[in-house]
Amino acid sequence: MTAVDTGLAAEYAAIYAYSAAAVHLDGDPRWIAEELEAEHRSRRDALLDFYDEHQLEAAPSLAGYDIEPISDAAAAQELLLAVETDVTTAWRAGVASSEPNEREICLRMYGESAVTLARWRLALGRPAADPWPGRPE
Amino acid sequence: MFTTRRGLLVGAAVLTAAGCTRETAHIITSDADLTAALHTARTLAAAAEALGFGDFAEDHLTHAATLERLLRPNVVADETGELPADPAALAEAESSGSREAGDACLTTDSDYAVVLGEIAACRAAHAAVLT
Repeated sequence: MTAVDTGLAAEYAAIYAYSAAAVHLDGDPRWIAEELEAEHRSRRDALLDFYDEHQLEAAPSLAGYDIEPISDAAAAQELLLAVETDVTTAWRAGVASSEPNEREICLRMYGESAVTLARWRLALGRPAADPWPGRPE
Repeated sequence: MFTTRRGLLVGAAVLTAAGCTRETAHIITSDADLTAALHTARTLAAAAEALGFGDFAEDHLTHAATLERLLRPNVVADETGELPADPAALAEAESSGSREAGDACLTTDSDYAVVLGEIAACRAAHAAVLT
């Protein structure tokens, strides 16, 4: 499994999580979540283009992903925060790749996911600042 | 001089302890990518602090401290460029700094690709939030 495979899987899981969580949100968090879900779909499409350009086989998304039960808006917000952190962590790991094309796409996705993570933190009223986005603690 | 195996071993130990063995010389040079990232981190930290974005300034100071550590024993003079005058200019400077670190991440053949990528991602996030 390559770093891009891992990142694509994280994007699939994020789309699934947003689909399940957004309905529990209202107001600003709801529309921001809808925007961020669209960004994940856009990144997924860009990744599938990357696979095509490099004659690689992309794994399909799974029918379902293991996510925490969502009982209310607070749970939905925390789930999406965890999802965004996971996606950013996955892309950060790919930047270490020694294969130039792989490092380039992972860096691009990492930058975009760090932006998404910061936007979701702000939506939750939390600081966007983070010197090392996605770095495991 | 060393007629027995024990004598040879003792002799080698004595020569090593006396510093008479050949060691590979290392010329310590500063990494240009890290140095550029450090200059930019210091400038962005000063600008963010001056414009009231203290948490972003902290991020840049964290980068600067890490880069200074990675560059040791070299010491990079503390000089900052012209500071952005308003949040829009700071956002542009963050974007520019992100591109600089990102380009360095893609071209470096050192072990610092990830740290340069992290700095690029952090600056991109700052720019997006400021915009």
